[in-house]
Amino acid sequence: MSDPQAMRNITYAQAIRTALREEMKRDERVVLWGEDIGVYGGVYGATTGLQREFGTERVRDTPISEMAIVGMGVGAALLGLRPVVEIMYEDFLAHAADGVVNQAAKWGYMSGGQYRVPLVVRSPGGGGSGYAAQHSQNLEAWFAHIPGLIVVATCMPRDARGLLKAAIRDDNPVVFLEHKGHYTYKGDVPRDEEVLPLGKADIKRPGRDVTIVAWSKALVAALSAADELASEGIDAEVIDPRTLLPLDMDTILASVGRTRHLVVVSESHAYCGVSAEISAQVCERAFGELKRPPKRVGSHFVPLPYSEPMESYVIPDAARVAEAVRGLLA
Amino acid sequence: MRSDRVEQLLAFYRGMLRIRLFEEKILDVMLPGRMFRGSSHLSIGQEAVAVGVVSALGPQDYLITSHRGHGHCLARGMDMEGAFAEIMGRSTGVCAGKGGSMHLSARDLGILGENPVVGSSAPMAAGAALALRMQGSHGVVACFFGEGAINTGAFHEAVNLAALWSLPVVFVCENNRYAISVPVDVASARAKAIHERALGYGIEGHRIDGMNVLDVYDISMAAIEKARREGRPSFLVFDTYRFVGHHTADSEHYRPKDEVLQEFRAHDPIHFVERSVADDCIVDMTELVRIRDEVRAEVDAAFARALGAPWPSPEDALGGAYVETSASFTCTGLPG
Repeated sequence: MSDPQAMRNITYAQAIRTALREEMKRDERVVLWGEDIGVYGGVYGATTGLQREFGTERVRDTPISEMAIVGMGVGAALLGLRPVVEIMYEDFLAHAADGVVNQAAKWGYMSGGQYRVPLVVRSPGGGGSGYAAQHSQNLEAWFAHIPGLIVVATCMPRDARGLLKAAIRDDNPVVFLEHKGHYTYKGDVPRDEEVLPLGKADIKRPGRDVTIVAWSKALVAALSAADELASEGIDAEVIDPRTLLPLDMDTILASVGRTRHLVVVSESHAYCGVSAEISAQVCERAFGELKRPPKRVGSHFVPLPYSEPMESYVIPDAARVAEAVRGLLA
Repeated sequence: MRSDRVEQLLAFYRGMLRIRLFEEKILDVMLPGRMFRGSSHLSIGQEAVAVGVVSALGPQDYLITSHRGHGHCLARGMDMEGAFAEIMGRSTGVCAGKGGSMHLSARDLGILGENPVVGSSAPMAAGAALALRMQGSHGVVACFFGEGAINTGAFHEAVNLAALWSLPVVFVCENNRYAISVPVDVASARAKAIHERALGYGIEGHRIDGMNVLDVYDISMAAIEKARREGRPSFLVFDTYRFVGHHTADSEHYRPKDEVLQEFRAHDPIHFVERSVADDCIVDMTELVRIRDEVRAEVDAAFARALGAPWPSPEDALGGAYVETSASFTCTGLPG
């Protein structure tokens, strides 16, 4: 008998690979393709060994053809495969946006429900690695604006494994955004199978004084800030929405109802971002609960610069989050 | 006793007339009567390509097409009333009124749908073909597009992959000489030999008279069987012409009026059949008239039924953006 509580301490990349491997073993309709995902195992190693295990039919290296990578995924999904395609950098989703936005998101609706598009588009984004402006963006807001898509942005190994499995099993197209700065980050993942619900937030740290909502790698900054604030007597609750469309506002509103303060943290820009959506909904639906206006923390509104001092300045860190919380509670 | 070839030609004649009269109803009745929204892209003049290619497909095959796809859908057997109703925006339309003229589809007939984003149907066709192959089917995917699509990146990405991975796709280019207003030789290098672009990918490319339905059928049959048996894609370029505007609101000032008239007189694919059977006294003209009368009655009846169909209720708009049956998915966080 296996112990249902038993954990493995694995990296974020291993967690993603575990999800892909488990789903490929479970369902032969699950197929992978993308640039350098086969022999090379993906530029960040997320698909290492999968081509050896499942063969070149089910794990395919593609040419540098982002439109075809996603477009073929849509076509194959219409006929019943469950493709999980990789776009090497989130920035390159600009090439493939037609397939995601115009085709995958709309084919089911436009056909009056005749078709469904069970496609997952995985893509690493995020800065902090010195890749500068064209290999570092966080574009979740682009896709969270599109009805028909599900958008996941998560950077914890357990969440990545459980939510990727859910994404593959879902009949809707899913944009699954990973953070390239987190592939070697380790965390506990259950040995047994775990499928986590899409559209459900997770309270990563309970607290009484302020609600901090943060996703992807900004969550790490938020959790560090919460530790720092605890030593000052400020008890922060940290919520990871994990799925940005649909968005679990119930969990966020309930938390704000307890703490009466909201800070939303993202590595993406605050302007027209998902953090704007969260702040707006809290204001619309729980204005009376708030003691202060919500505060947003995001990357400064410039393309991401290369040089380390500038890049670190642009991306919000724990100190900036803590400062925002102190300012809010002051 | 008439030959099978004559019977086939008459069946093609009926098929082409069904498309012609369906679209003339849109142009002559629905447009002045404001019975549809947006615009509708008619294929009047291009019927031989639709009927010739689609007739060569088998029941296990699929097609995906462009905004100019009514003809392909009707040739594949789409319910005419459902198509009219869709264009009128009625709840009985093939897409329940959510798609309209540019988004007709029919899953049960292997019609993946019209894709009006020019070029984007090509990768989807390749992906569908890959699915068929991986599922052990012997199906083939026919991908229709105008010559305007051949300069998109998506088209080249898809043809490369279809050739590289031996996918059963027939890329069908309907060269009607204008991408909206821009003539093919203004947009495309070596405009007279666009079929030779296939050479760069190591697949067969052919240029065929798209106004002769029998020629269209024969080359399509060969290409489809090649795709089915050998997994080799082909690139077929059919010379054709649209006798009407790009869409129903097109002023058409980019081409001389007498060019249209000359093309119609010389190359109308429906006249072509009438001439070829009547001139040789193979079929009595009265039989052609009878077919025309039957098709007209079919179109009129379908149109009348569609016109009497109910409108969707406004709130029907809110359903169907997501498949809500997935076990892992909760819709509570969807925006209102």
